[in-house]
Amino acid sequence: MTLNYLLKRMLGTIPLLLGVSLVLFGVLHLAPGTPMDVYADNPSVSQEALDQMKVALGLDQPLPVQYTKWVTAFFTGEWGYSIRTARPVVTEITERLWPTIILGGSSFFLALLVAVPLGVLSAVRRYSATDYGITFMSFLGISMPVFWLALMLQLLFAVQWRILPSAGMQTIGENSLVDLLRHLALPALILAFANVAGWSRYMRSSMVEVLSQDYVRTAKAKGLPHNKVVYRHALRNALIPVITVVALDFAGILSGAVITETIFAWPGIGRLFIESMNGRDYPVLLALMMLGSFALVVTNVLADLAYAAADPRIRYD
Amino acid sequence: MKFTPISQHSASRKGRLLLALTSVLLCGTALAQERGGTLTVGLSYDIDTLNVYSTGYLGDVQATVVEGLLAPDRNANYVPVLATTVPTIKNGGIKVSADGKQMSITYKLRRNVKWSDGTPFTSADVKFTWEAIKNPKFIAESKDGSEDVSSIDTPDPYTAVVNYKRVAPDYASTLFTFGIFPKHALEGKDLNTDVYNEKPLGTGPFKVKEFRRGQYVIMERNPLYWRKDSKGVQLPYLDQIVFKIIPDANTLVTQLKSGEIQMTPSVPYAQVTQLDALPNMNIVKNNVLSWQHLDFNFKGPEALRDLNVRQAFAYAINKSAISKALGGFPKPIDTVVVPVFSASNRNVVKYPYNPTKAKALLDAAGYKPGPDGIRVKNGQRMSYKILVQAGRANDEIAQQVIISSLKAVGIELQPDNKTGVAFREARYKGGYDVFYSGWITSADPVYSVFFKTGGVNNGQGFSNPKIDALLNRAENTLDPAVQKSALMDFQAELMKVLPTIPITTNLSVIAVTNKLGNFVPNPTNMTNFVNTSSWYLKK
Repeated sequence: MTLNYLLKRMLGTIPLLLGVSLVLFGVLHLAPGTPMDVYADNPSVSQEALDQMKVALGLDQPLPVQYTKWVTAFFTGEWGYSIRTARPVVTEITERLWPTIILGGSSFFLALLVAVPLGVLSAVRRYSATDYGITFMSFLGISMPVFWLALMLQLLFAVQWRILPSAGMQTIGENSLVDLLRHLALPALILAFANVAGWSRYMRSSMVEVLSQDYVRTAKAKGLPHNKVVYRHALRNALIPVITVVALDFAGILSGAVITETIFAWPGIGRLFIESMNGRDYPVLLALMMLGSFALVVTNVLADLAYAAADPRIRYD
Repeated sequence: MKFTPISQHSASRKGRLLLALTSVLLCGTALAQERGGTLTVGLSYDIDTLNVYSTGYLGDVQATVVEGLLAPDRNANYVPVLATTVPTIKNGGIKVSADGKQMSITYKLRRNVKWSDGTPFTSADVKFTWEAIKNPKFIAESKDGSEDVSSIDTPDPYTAVVNYKRVAPDYASTLFTFGIFPKHALEGKDLNTDVYNEKPLGTGPFKVKEFRRGQYVIMERNPLYWRKDSKGVQLPYLDQIVFKIIPDANTLVTQLKSGEIQMTPSVPYAQVTQLDALPNMNIVKNNVLSWQHLDFNFKGPEALRDLNVRQAFAYAINKSAISKALGGFPKPIDTVVVPVFSASNRNVVKYPYNPTKAKALLDAAGYKPGPDGIRVKNGQRMSYKILVQAGRANDEIAQQVIISSLKAVGIELQPDNKTGVAFREARYKGGYDVFYSGWITSADPVYSVFFKTGGVNNGQGFSNPKIDALLNRAENTLDPAVQKSALMDFQAELMKVLPTIPITTNLSVIAVTNKLGNFVPNPTNMTNFVNTSSWYLKK
């Protein structure tokens, strides 16, 4: 793996992102409704005023022109203004990005820390009570609706016991880390729970497959200690498919978690997306979707690097 | 277009100013009002801007900062705020021109009112407000009324004379009631992007301390507020009002239960029972002047232009079943002018629930049941798309009742629910066969937007010259008797032609801590927060 390779990969993302931008722009403009519809059924907004707004927002021009203008501006860092709030798109997004990264990031690492050991344990003790217990919990986690679990935990922790706040990101007027962590606990736990459930299943099945391979048997036969066989030989190989899945979910962090954010009144990207979608706020929507695509492309590169780290046989030149 | 959190359907501001009669009064305790304390309120929508004229929602937060010349009280009667009296023809405040085509309104302004930065409030601010709203460069949701005004004279700092191009009986539900802009802070600024949208400067009892997007707004006492109580104590009593943004209805209720918020202006019907059981919570019901209706698209399937079919729909729908499904809160109605208005016509043609009659009407008109039970005429199955705003739980429940009511008489309705802009577009362009939703009417009702040929909210493409004439008569007079008789005739005619079936009139439910004194609900579009200065928290 060389710097050269990295550079090549990053350059390769540019045409990819351009293609993505074209698709996103097209899909958005194919959807029924325009930002002007918010005003169109208001009798005191005259047709002239509507036309003026259209010109001001650049919506009067043909779509290819609109696209070229937007895409050049976007790639030179000029993201424009939100139609809904009239604030710069960059401000709108950066304000929401931090809460989203806190929530998504903490639940991601929490889930990773729990899912991998659980999956390995489940595989190593296949068909034992532990395995069945973990499997049961996993299916529970996968099938339990997030909103239901959230409601139950809110009732328990905020209403019954009154030890955690039910929603929000901070107590008003307080800026301490402890306060943030108290608000973060429930939503992060719930988001992590669903991920743990999924990832530990992948980890288990991948591990089971590797453990049954010849080289593992050979390692065992030549008298290598059990732990060494599992963690040194089997785990590294078993991680490869898990990295793929986890990386995809990692990219999703930047898109926000709409349901969890809504239930916990968390001021994240997911809620911004829904609000903007309902108003067809093109500049914000396009920026958010581009950001999501960019995150996906970058995590793909990261995943490739992670493959190489996990398995030295994988090399990029 | 503003919509309240409880009713996200909206007409224009004219068709929106809603009024309510309070059925529970919480004030009137003999305790002394205490100064101090913070009231925390939960709002269910994400605030876009704090500019009353550009926000897409009702201005709950804004109402604590920004004041108008007049404001509706809890019975939707206008009372003076920054003006000293409500202008009428009797007191000489309203003068109609000799030809009866124009009018001018003179407002006498209150002296010693200061903006919260200390600058005095004068008639120049009133004039500036109109000019700013009218300016086409200002992209605003609410410009209602600004086009009706031809000029404003300001003979002295405490007099504003507003000259209207037409006789506008609804003048009070628009422009200056809504809020006055500070000229000294906004002149020459771009209102679309000005910092005013984050931190509005007003004359009201509170000012914005901090606005965190997607989280909360903290309002703190305006020490320069002009109102004093009867003992001469400077208002407001409360130190702070905090508005928390909690988009999920279940979480709102959880926060009320856990004591994290003490009030919310919109409780979903389904949650009322469990909140009612809380010992320190009052449930306040407001008879909002709104009506739910089922509209037919006249540009749609041919059968819907057949009066027999529309009548069959009306007889087939079980209005009390809809009310029951929604906890009994909505009340069935027979006409579009809701019963609280004196102009509500009790003698319109009524269509009581009667599926047998509905079937007979359809049989007689040649719609015969097909093999699958759905009626057919000339090869056309009676299968239609019914539009409801997606995500509005109450409407979606009613939709289910309507679908099953009509299935019983052999008409199939398929849900085609939309949300956001897609919903708006379908609504005003007629992208449906039948449409179930609600309108909130004004205190000075303007029905032409819904039913006049080409009316802005007449997405169904309904057109009837007789209706047009009656509405013209009702909406161009300042004489209440003429207006009432025209409205009565309009309803009688409308229910004969039946372009729309009025279903129920709804109420909104407010949950508020029993510690809050002097709280008077004001469910007009000026929100419950229109006069917060006398609210106080009991210790």
